[in-house]
Order: sequence, then structure tokens, then C-alpha cells
Amino acid sequence: MSRIMPLVGNEYVLGFRKQLEWSGLIASAFFFGKIGAGLFMMSVYTESRLGMLIGLTIVLGGKGGAHMLFLGKPWRFWRGMSQPGTSWVSRGLWAMTFMTVFGGAALILPAGSTLFMPLAIIAAFFAFIVAVYDGFLLTSSNAIPIWNTALMPVMCMFYAFLGGTTLTLFLTHFGIIPPSIIEPVLSTVETILLAVNLAIVFLYLITCINSGGARKKSFELLVKGPYAVAFFSLAIGLGLIFTLVMTVISGSHAGPGVVAMVTVADLIGHYLIFFLFLRAGVFKPVFGLLKI
Amino acid sequence: MKQSEMVAQKDYWAKSACKMCIHSCAIVAHVVDGVVVKIEGDPDNPSNRGKLCPKGHAGIMRLYDPHRVKTPLKRTNPIKGAGVDPMWVPISWEEALSTTAEKLKKIREEDPRKLLVAINDFHRIHIWGWGSAFGSPHYFSTVGQYCGAAYHPINGTLDGSFAAVNDYDHCKYWIQIGAGDGFSSHLHVAASIKRMADARVERGMKLVVVEPRMSSGAAKADEWLPIRPGTDRAFVLGMVYTLLYELNIYDAGFMRKHTNGIYLVAPDGNLFRNSESQKPMVWDSVAKAAREYDAEGMNLQDVALEGVYKIDGVEYRPAFQVIKDSLKDHTPERMSEICSIPADTIRRIAKEFGEAACIGSTIMLGGKEYPYRPAAVNFYRGAIGHFDGGLDSLAMKLINLVIGNIDVPGGHIGVGLDHRLLIINAGKDGMLHPEPHLLHPPYEFNEKPYSFQLMEWYPIGIDPGHLTAENVLNPEKWGFDFQPEALIIEHSNPMWNLSATNKVVDVFKKLKFIVAIDIVLNESTDWADIVLPDLSYLESHLLVCIEPPMVTGHVYRRPVIEPLYDGRDATDILTDLADRIGFLPNWNGLLNFTTFLTPENYLDPNTKYSNLEITDRMAKSIYGPDKGLEWFQEHGHTTRLQTPEEMYLPFAQKGLRIPIYFNFIKETGDDLAQKMKAAGRDWDTSSYLPVPIWRDHHPLHNMPPEYDLYAFAFKECQTNFSESTTIPWIDEAISCMPIHLGVMINSKTAQKKGIKTGDILKLESPFGEVTGRASLCEEVHPECLALSNGMSRWSQHPVGKRQVTTHFNKLLPGDVKWTDGMTGHLETSTKVKISIISE
Amino acid sequence: MHYGMVIDLKRCVGCQACTIACKAENGTPPGVMYTKVLDQVSGEFPNVRKQFVPVLCNHCVNAPCQRVCPTGATYKREDGLVLVDHDKCMGCRACYVACPYNNRIFLKRGKLKSGYHGKVFTPYEAVKYKEHQDGIVEKCKFCSHRVDQGLKPACVQTCPADARIFGDLDDPESKVSRLIRSRGGVQPLSEDSTEPSVYYLS
Repeated sequence: MSRIMPLVGNEYVLGFRKQLEWSGLIASAFFFGKIGAGLFMMSVYTESRLGMLIGLTIVLGGKGGAHMLFLGKPWRFWRGMSQPGTSWVSRGLWAMTFMTVFGGAALILPAGSTLFMPLAIIAAFFAFIVAVYDGFLLTSSNAIPIWNTALMPVMCMFYAFLGGTTLTLFLTHFGIIPPSIIEPVLSTVETILLAVNLAIVFLYLITCINSGGARKKSFELLVKGPYAVAFFSLAIGLGLIFTLVMTVISGSHAGPGVVAMVTVADLIGHYLIFFLFLRAGVFKPVFGLLKI
Repeated sequence: MKQSEMVAQKDYWAKSACKMCIHSCAIVAHVVDGVVVKIEGDPDNPSNRGKLCPKGHAGIMRLYDPHRVKTPLKRTNPIKGAGVDPMWVPISWEEALSTTAEKLKKIREEDPRKLLVAINDFHRIHIWGWGSAFGSPHYFSTVGQYCGAAYHPINGTLDGSFAAVNDYDHCKYWIQIGAGDGFSSHLHVAASIKRMADARVERGMKLVVVEPRMSSGAAKADEWLPIRPGTDRAFVLGMVYTLLYELNIYDAGFMRKHTNGIYLVAPDGNLFRNSESQKPMVWDSVAKAAREYDAEGMNLQDVALEGVYKIDGVEYRPAFQVIKDSLKDHTPERMSEICSIPADTIRRIAKEFGEAACIGSTIMLGGKEYPYRPAAVNFYRGAIGHFDGGLDSLAMKLINLVIGNIDVPGGHIGVGLDHRLLIINAGKDGMLHPEPHLLHPPYEFNEKPYSFQLMEWYPIGIDPGHLTAENVLNPEKWGFDFQPEALIIEHSNPMWNLSATNKVVDVFKKLKFIVAIDIVLNESTDWADIVLPDLSYLESHLLVCIEPPMVTGHVYRRPVIEPLYDGRDATDILTDLADRIGFLPNWNGLLNFTTFLTPENYLDPNTKYSNLEITDRMAKSIYGPDKGLEWFQEHGHTTRLQTPEEMYLPFAQKGLRIPIYFNFIKETGDDLAQKMKAAGRDWDTSSYLPVPIWRDHHPLHNMPPEYDLYAFAFKECQTNFSESTTIPWIDEAISCMPIHLGVMINSKTAQKKGIKTGDILKLESPFGEVTGRASLCEEVHPECLALSNGMSRWSQHPVGKRQVTTHFNKLLPGDVKWTDGMTGHLETSTKVKISIISE
Repeated sequence: MHYGMVIDLKRCVGCQACTIACKAENGTPPGVMYTKVLDQVSGEFPNVRKQFVPVLCNHCVNAPCQRVCPTGATYKREDGLVLVDHDKCMGCRACYVACPYNNRIFLKRGKLKSGYHGKVFTPYEAVKYKEHQDGIVEKCKFCSHRVDQGLKPACVQTCPADARIFGDLDDPESKVSRLIRSRGGVQPLSEDSTEPSVYYLS
């Protein structure tokens, strides 16, 4: 008999409500954090100083910049470091700071310094945290069920690796960083990561299908609602399937056009998928399952 | 504390009275550094006990509304119309008053009836008669349709009350029909919500709400009975039938002792009177003879309530028998077809109601024994704002009378207009004197009408202001040989509050001069030529207490801060104008009466008195020479709970009976019919009936079939007294509440018509059309559309407008055909056809 | 001492007096409502049920907003009130997405530059908006400034239906504790283990 609980805006009606605050800038911060940290980690592995520098710059400038633009009181950002014990935002800030400190220190060292690699590895460890902490940040929110899943950090990790790999591939291909790993290996890694990400996204959606409540509402927004077109065509179609197909077809013989196209497609997909996950965040009705 | 001392403080709480609706709850305003930062209910006041409704809290934003009129204004744009900028320029008081006085003086000298009057400030009832002192009999404002032309006169006729409500403290079975008492409106709503909630939750009172839209009251009710608009009388008469014919439940004791149910009625419907003494007769079943109702030695138990008695070949029946006979065909089945509530439900509710009444039981209160009837029907405008509204009102009273609950603990209690409680004067026949006119004295009948609202032809009603426009535009119909030239508006909005809006606009177009007194401008005053700024309620003095249930006394409205702008109290403005125009003696004479002055406090006819002086004299007249305004400034209010003696059976204490058979109404109607016949006028007096019955020729239910949906307007707690819809806090809240966001239509009905939420609809009645946004819901009877007043504003005031303006009054007629013959109440529902303009 | 509120859904008539009283007390700018009354319609005509549900910050014992706050701006007092130190908040809105009740409100930068009548502030707004900051997150404070003076929160003080009752949840004899016991008070989203200090009676 009872009608299905509605998705409401600012009406004074009991129902599901979309979160309206974390949107484009947070998606940008997450995006830059992941691709920057991913590139940084890959560059440590490939021992490319320039790659590390670019990765660090993306994290600091892109992610840091987006955060500063997003914060209501940006010059109070330092206060955000005070609660690492409970807050993932604090932890993320610390990770960024350490990544910068250690990464920066490594980069300042003269070439051939024995300290370079230890510092770079420590920095890479913090880069890894930068890449995945937002997954934990989202997971830790009980309030928004579509974020509240163990797959979130996993997805973040793999997207960071994917982003890092794509960028490395791109920079290597265009000769910006030296090819210390031969391209065929890179493109194989890229193919695997694309397939893995596709699988994880698929798994993520599967868990939503059989859910109820707010997660289901979010899922509906993604697959049926206003976000469906962007989600399927860009976030998945362009970002994962198109790139996968292109990578598989062209293999290690991809020309610059293809590499550039795959890179752009991957980055668009990457940005959009997290943007849409954020936008599709729906709160539970305040009474949840309770009958009143 | 003296006014000057109080406002000199840095941080203080000032006691005053709310005026965000008619009912004047007591408030305290917190003032810090001269700025009002909070308004709360006054916890010391026995009525609202610290409580306040949303509008009361929003009073701050009215006080500080940047769109307030700050100085006298003069219009410089001669073009008038909706959306037209009047191009106001500030002028001096002297210029404003002298210009106004000059225009009005000229009119008064020519023919004072050329002035239309819209003075309807609910708290300052004492100034309503300014027009009559001027010499104009007109009311160009809805007046009786706000609340109940068909409501107040019937209350006054029954027991000398102005309003009525069930006994919050003792009622255990409350049927609420078309009313917001205890939830959204009427009689100090914040106070009443508390009393109602206590009754529902603490005492487990059963609540049945009968109305076509599920209001907040119906939402809280144990049972909601959706009903077709304008058929509430049928539901109630079906209940009466069940009680009288099927269950045999009625309070014979109450009827014998306190009503005229025992008076014998002749076949012509008039009382059977002793030919010499003219006293009504009753049937003594022991003596088997008719005797005077107050015959000595007659035992009331022996007086017949039922039966037919032949005296000198003529059959007489006790009034109660006449009532019963009049309703013999009002079976639940027939009534069900009319009102759409199933017959079984009517029977069940009647049974529950009758049983809950505990007929025969008594209760001790304040050391006295009273009948205890903890069941009652409460009703208001929704039930009676109809063609035949007088009969609707009578039916609501009848169901209460049948169980003997009028003014007894648990029952249906009369509420006075103000501190005067009920007006209990002896009338004829051992009865209470009927008091249908509590706002102003009745208008003298005249063959040729002289008031545009035809008040002279509605001897029981309250001014049907909605007839004004029709009569101005078609003067030949009833023979008006004058035309209005000017209009004075004080805190009223005729263009918005009257029905047949387009006709009202046409009247505005004819007027050569409009003067307005108010604190903000509205749809009507946007058309003014001169605007005179009033003081807001938080800046002015008044003794007030409108219709407090259970409480008596006055709340002192005082300025909580110094006036913000160059305003003047409306009373002072009107006094000044009366003086300049040259009728100060009439005005002062009227004030003597309307402010209840005692002879020693009478105003000198030729002296100008300030509002402050008048209020001081009023206080001294009512409370004694030592209780002038100074006393009120020190002590605040005089409100106190009524004593049981004041609340219960006030008429019986004076040995008076109340009517169950409303022969007064029949006699009034017969008298009017005779006068109209003599005047050669065709005037329908068929609704002046002593017993409420259902009459099938109700125009609302006989509209052409293409008008297939009923439509009506509604308000809720946030939007009552619609001035509040231009207050941003209220506007913000209601623009988030689905009920105020569009034309409410039942989802099934909408489905059949292919309508979705958000579609823009055209609603057409035979009298006008509006557009509205469809809002599908379950909370409305499938035959109905419900329109909130929250989407009806179009004035220059920037707050409160909606993308689609849906002003219900445009759909209503405003003529005699749609007006209740007995009371002058307009039919406030209509029927419409709808079409989709855009999706 | 553990302040809490009991909301009697049987009493609430959805009048929004609390909504506006809260606005008046706290001088919140347009669009910012610390409390409001939601409604819920269920069923189909004529078997319709309409329920009014006042919502506000639940001042959770196990407050997710406090846990996720990176600056420590959100803190918990010993009397159970969860408050935001306006001077510490950096406006990251982690609390906004962490509050399962959607009861936190972010004041956009520049929000306080205009009021209910645009750029023109009423004298009231000129005074009250000084109590706010833009770029930070605000929420219901249980009227801590009133509670500290021994007064009830504004919404409780005004509620015409007495549907809101405020008191000490630690005191088994307080009215709130007795009502929760006798009428079976429930906490919203109790499945989230936030331990709200607001209980509903139905």
C-alpha cells in the first residue's frame, strides 16, 4: 500500500536526498590525486625524476589546488591536519605532505645519490596513501550507502595505477620521460588494468543491483536517471571499453594518435566515473527502515 | 514600566500582543540595542502559555520589511493596473491628509455614499465604523466571507456567542467539520494546538475530521472522512436522523430544561401562543392541555417533546417533534448519496457520537454540578461557507443540541468576540435574545437599497461585501442611483480577498480617488493615490483579545520599540481625517460605543483624542479608574481563565432558554418576505427556515456537467491571514511544502485525465479561469481540486510570488444567486473543468 | 548530564512554528534551516496516512560528523551537545556527507552578503548574521546559548503542540527518560549505531 519513498530536493518531505556538496571540485581533487600519485609511483619504479616531478606537481597543483578552491575557508587548511586519529581527510593531508616532503627531498638530491631511492620509495608509499585514502574516506561514510562499500578503496587503487600507467605510457611515447620500461610491457599492464577496472566497476554495479534503499536510488540515478548517458557512454564506454579495445587492437604498435586518444579517453572516463559516483550519492531517509 | 523607561533600556523583553492573525496571542519581544531580535509567546498568558505559531515568530520580518510604507506617499503614475509601478513619491503628512480630506469632504457634501470603505483591521474593530460615521454604508471588502457570515450570526442566535469551539478540557469525542481548530487556524491557534494535543494524547480523545482535503487536523485524526464540498449538512443531518430515528439517542432533559424544543408549533411553523399573554404554549401531558411554557406548578418532566396535539381542531406539535418530522426523509442512504460518505459510516459515527455523549451524566466543577456531554461537533468556514450556509450552521448546532452539549462541560462552547464573553440578554418567550449582529448594528430595511453590499436585505447576515462589485457595475439591477467615486482602505485587500476578482478590478478602474492606510502595500493598495503609513503592531498601543477560548480579559499591545518610520496610528489618522472632513462628533460618538466607554469617560464630541487617550479611557471604562494604560504598562495583561460559571450554561444562570427550533430565523425571513413583497421585489427568502434540512436545488451541486471537479481554497497554519505570505521566512517555508506548491489533485483523478505533477493546468469555472501547476496527491477527495492561498499573490511586494499565480477567488462568482439568502455568505466552493496548457 | 530531545509524533501538527522560531532565534540566512518539519504521506485515497516528522541535528553520542571532522571544529560537550566551532571549521564538508541525517548545512562563500531582501539587510539581519560565518558548516546547536542559561531550545519553547520535550537522558526520572521508557522512544537510523540523542515517539 505504502508508496515508494520519493527522492526529494529541498521539499519538506521525508525521503531520499541527494548529497549536494561534494561535486566537481572534489572529483577533480580525487582525479588529480590519483593520476598524480599513480604517475609518481610508476616514475619511482621507472626511476624517472621528471615523471616523479610531474606526478608530484599534479598532486600538489591539481589536487591541492582543487581542494583549496573547494574549501570554504581555504587558509584554514592547516587546521585539517589536526585529527589524523579519526579523520581520513586529515590522513590524506598528512599523506600529501609526506609525499611532498620525501618526494621533494629525493628530487632535490643530485643524480646518483644513494639516498634518492630510499626517499623516493618512502614518498611512493605516501603517494599510495594519497591514491587510495579517498576510497577509505568515501567508504567510511555510513550516510551515503553507494560510497559505503569495501570496493571503493580497491577501485581507487586500481584507478590510480591505471592513471599512472596511462600517463607514463603517454609521456614515454612522446619522449618526455625516458623509456626505462619498454613500451610493450607498459601497454600490457595498461590492458590488464583496464580489464581489472572494468571488472571492478562491473562488480560494484552488481552489488548495487541487489541492494535496496539509498544505494539502489543512487544506482538508479547512475544507470537510469539523469547520469545514465554520461555514465555508460563516457565513464564506462569511452573510459574503459573504448580504451581497452584500442589498447588490445593496437598493442605495442600504437601510433602517437592512438596513444593520445587512449590517454584522453582514459582520463575523461576516470574523472567522470568518480564525479558521477559523487553526484549519485544519496542519503537514507532519516527513519531508514523504521515504520512510523 | 513606562514606555519611555522601557525603550531606554539596552536589553529587555517587552510584553505585547501578536497581530500576525486576528487572534492576538500574548507575546514578549526581546529587544537588544533597539533591535527586536526575537518574539516569543508570553509564558504568563493563560491562553497561549508561551506558545506561538510560525507567523507569530515571523513578525520580526514584517516589522523590518524594507517594503514598509515609511512616509506618506503620493502616486505620480496615473496609469493603474497589475504590475504597473505607481511611481510613489514621498510627501508630507500635511499634504497627504489635506489632499485626502479635501477629496473626501467634497464627496461627503455631495453624497457620502460615493465613498467605498474597506476598513477591516481585525484588531481595531473599533474603527470599522469610520465609514458609517462618515455617512457611507458600504463595505468593499470580503468581511463576512473571511470567516463566516453564516457562522457568527448563528452562534449569536443560539447562545449569544461570536464563535464556538468544543471543550478542549473535557471533550472525548470530537468531530471536526471544515475547521482548523486545534491545528491550523481559529481561536488563538498556538493555544489551541496545545489544548488539542493534550486532549488527543493525554486524554485519548477520539477525533474524527470531515473535510474534502486531508488537512493537518485530518492527518492527526483517528479517522478522516473525505466529503464532497458543500455537503457537510447532509452528513450531519444523516447523523441526526440516525440518532433520532434509529438509536433513539437524544437529551430530552436538556431540551426540556434549556431549549424551546417543548414549545408547541402551529401548522404554519410559528409558535403556538397564548392569545392573551402571547406566551408560547407547551403540552402538559399530565393535564393533557396546552399551558404557557412557564406555567406555575407544571413539572418539566411532564411536558411533551413529541406527539401531535389537537387543540380546537388544529394540530400542534412540540418543536422537537417538528424537527424530527422535518428530517424524516434524511436517511443515511439519501444523505450518503449527497455527501459521498457511506451510509454505514454515517450510522457508525452517529452511534459512536451518541454513545460518547454520556447523556444523563453530570460532572462537578468549581463546586457545582453540570451536565457532562463529552462529545461535540466543531465546525467552521469550510462547513458553512456555502449557499444555504445558514442552514449548514443550523445543522451543526442541531447535532450538538440533540445531545444537549451546548455550553456544558465536554460539549460545544460559545466564545465571545472579546472580553465580553457571551452576550446573554433576555429576549422574548423566555429565550435568550438572539445576537446575530456582534460587529455592528443591523441595517435598517429599505425598499430601495442603499449599501452596495445589500446589508439592508440580509437582516441576519454579516456584510456580503462580495456583492459590492456586482452592484457597482450593474446599478440598475436593484436600483442604485449613485456611483462610487472614492475608496478608503485600512489594512484590507479587497482586490485580493473578494471573489469575482475581475469585477473588483473593474470597480477599482472606475474609482477616481483611493486612499490607503497600511504598513505594506498589497494588490489593492498598489492602486492607491495617497498612502498613509500606519504603525505596525510592534509599534502601537491597543487593548485587544479576539475570541479567546477559555480565557477572558485583554492583552495590551504596546510598542516594543520606538516606531521605525514616520508612521501614525491608524486610529489617529482616521480621527484626523474625521476632523478635517468635518464629522468628528459622529466619530467620537461612535468610538464611545466601539471602545466600550462608560459615561464618565465619554469623548467630548468636538475634541480630537489620540489613540493613546482613547485606549486609556477604554481601559478605565472596563477595569475601573485605577486601571488605565499606566496600570497595563506596569502589569501587562488582564487575561485570566474563565470560571466554570462564565463558561458553562451562562444562559441558564439567567433563566433563559436557547433555541433548538429557530423560530427567530423563520420570523425574520417571513418579515423580510413581506417587506420585499410590499416593495414589489423578487427576493428569495426560502432559506429562512427554523429547522435545517437538505435542499436539493443547491446551485453548487447543479452546475453544468462539463464542470466536473469541485474546487476550493485552503490555508494552513503558516498561511492563515495571508498577509504572512509576503513575509520571506513564511514564504521560504511554504515554498518547500508540497501542499502549497500547486493545485492538489487526487492521483487517480489525474491519471484518468492524463495529468502529471508539474503540468500547467487551466482551471475554468463559469465565472473565471486561472492557471495552476498540477500537484498529484492522495490527500484530496477524487472529485476535488484544492488550492492553497500560498500561490495567489501578485502585488508589487516582491516576496511570495510564484512562477504561476493561482488565485482561487477568480473562479468564484459574487452575486446574489450564489449568496446564502439567510446570512449573506458566498458559496466559497465552485466547480471547474480543467485542461492541460503545457507539460 | 546528557541533553536529549523527545519528539512526540502523535502531538506534532506540522505547523512549522519550530522551523520559524529556530530561524528567529538563530538568525539563519536564507536557505539555512537548523530544523524543519518533514511530512510523509503513505497509502492511497481514502486510506491515507500523513505523518509530520520534525528533524534536527541528533547530537549523536557516536557522532560520525565529529569523527570525520579533520579540524576538530566539531566537538562534543560533556552534556552531550555536538557543536561546531565556527572559527575552526575550514569548510571541507566531510561532516556533511558523513551525517546520515543530512542535517548539516554548508554556508557558501558569500552567503552572508545577501539576506532575505537581497543586499539590503533588515536591522535584525544586520545583527544576527554577525553570528554566522560563510564558507563553513553549521547545524542545530540544541540552542546551546539558551541551554547554558537554563532555557529550553527555541523550538521546544515554542512548540504549540508540546511535541518537543528537552531534558536529561541520564536522569531516569526526567520527562524525556520517562517518555522514552513508557512510550518506546526510537532513535532515527539506529541501525547506523550513531546513538542519536533525539528520540521519536509514535
